[in-house]
Amino acid sequence: MSEAKHTFAFYLGCIAPNRYPGCEAASIKAMKKLGVDLVPLKGASCCPAPGAFGSIDLNVFYAMAARNLVLAEQMKMDIALLCNGCYKSIWEVNHKLKHNKDLKDGVNEVLKELDMEYKGTINVYHTAELLYNERFIGVQKVRDSVTNPLKGARIAVHYGCHLMKPHKDREFEKESMLNTEHPTWMEELVAALGATPVEYRNKMQCCGAGGGVRGYDIVHSLDITNEKMINLKEVKVDALTDICPFCQLQFDRGQIEIKEKFGVTYDLPVLHYAELLGLAQGMSPQDLGLDLHGISCEPFLQKVL
Amino acid sequence: MVRKKGYPEALEKKLHDQRYYREDSNPEFLPKVKAISRTIAHMCFQCGTCTGSCPSAPRSTYRIRHFMRRAVLGLENEALTDPDLWLCTTCYSCTDRCPRDIAPTDVIMAMRNLAFKRDIIPVNFLKTVQAIYSSGHGVPNNDVNRAARERLGLTRDPPTTHMYPEYVKGIQKILDHYKLKANADRIVKEREG
Repeated sequence: MSEAKHTFAFYLGCIAPNRYPGCEAASIKAMKKLGVDLVPLKGASCCPAPGAFGSIDLNVFYAMAARNLVLAEQMKMDIALLCNGCYKSIWEVNHKLKHNKDLKDGVNEVLKELDMEYKGTINVYHTAELLYNERFIGVQKVRDSVTNPLKGARIAVHYGCHLMKPHKDREFEKESMLNTEHPTWMEELVAALGATPVEYRNKMQCCGAGGGVRGYDIVHSLDITNEKMINLKEVKVDALTDICPFCQLQFDRGQIEIKEKFGVTYDLPVLHYAELLGLAQGMSPQDLGLDLHGISCEPFLQKVL
Repeated sequence: MVRKKGYPEALEKKLHDQRYYREDSNPEFLPKVKAISRTIAHMCFQCGTCTGSCPSAPRSTYRIRHFMRRAVLGLENEALTDPDLWLCTTCYSCTDRCPRDIAPTDVIMAMRNLAFKRDIIPVNFLKTVQAIYSSGHGVPNNDVNRAARERLGLTRDPPTTHMYPEYVKGIQKILDHYKLKANADRIVKEREG
């Protein structure tokens, strides 16, 4: 379609490439159609997981995230990523290091051992932000790229936490992305695909996975997820969409664990927005690896294909 | 730790009562928490907006407001040894809503950092460190996923440290700089033998 106007170093994180590779494949293909080239960020690692690493030693957290940032600085490219947790690490550490000389100096002292230096020359974006911001793509272009509208599908949005919260620290160009109490920008993106976005109770609640809680106390973590599932059941949706593979893991694999531990079945398909976008642009479920999902996407696919 | 302002002795004595430190409190705790968290923890006026916003509170005894109070009062032992410290999902709802612009989430993170210095840490956190030390990823690739990636037209391993393991060395240098791997190995061994 259109020629690429923007190029980003594509930071993958862990769960997207290693558990839901469809998110990665769909992002690359779908964004290319929208004029955004995502090129590999060679040698990137875990962001590192903000809950796990931040809890142990924030200095290690800063240094590890800075290493990923430096890899992109060396490519002279801004970073695009597809996970809220990664956004928290990569965007926020970039922001902190740019504004706190003591932190920057501390990080560079460690990076010296790797022959690296953090300079603070690049910016970090979430792909959802690129899709929503017309400086890069915008809702209209997303709508125009749809060849297979997801007509008749009722889709709820899980925003997740770490992209937008705390809004006081965020610097989104789009004002509506700073609303963390009742945002609707993702619903606009869902509607652009031809689907019907659906509101539900306590939409902005956490999925329950973060902060190391999923590993520390799985029942506590799933109980939070279960509350969201109850609220979603109330509004009878065909699918839940997210913009964070870790939230996706918690809702998708989590439903299997909820069944085992609490004896409740929901069977609600959970898809990353990139996967939805891929479907709407005509990618097949096979191209998206939807068979890798813990909860079958079939009922949803039958409705939209 | 009485605030000395050169008041007459009687007034000093009265002000002493306004300071909350007891024998089990550590006046250094609050400054430490503030330095690590980079937030104005002392400004908390205990309104409870944080606990009201917390997804963990309704299903446990975890009360973020309680931890904020412990920070201000210097109740270091009480805070760091409370297992509820690890129930924060770091959703940042409290931080998002705090009317005093404090980041209670970051106060929790700072307390967890201080707890780790005393070897107080759930073992799952350390296993993430071990995974990243060996592969660069907290959630590493596996054979089922490699086959799936190939089917999707992706490389079997993502172009991260997985495809370029020579980059893992840099990560190991960072973790070794802070002795994190050695400490993780030691604590995991002590717990699990």
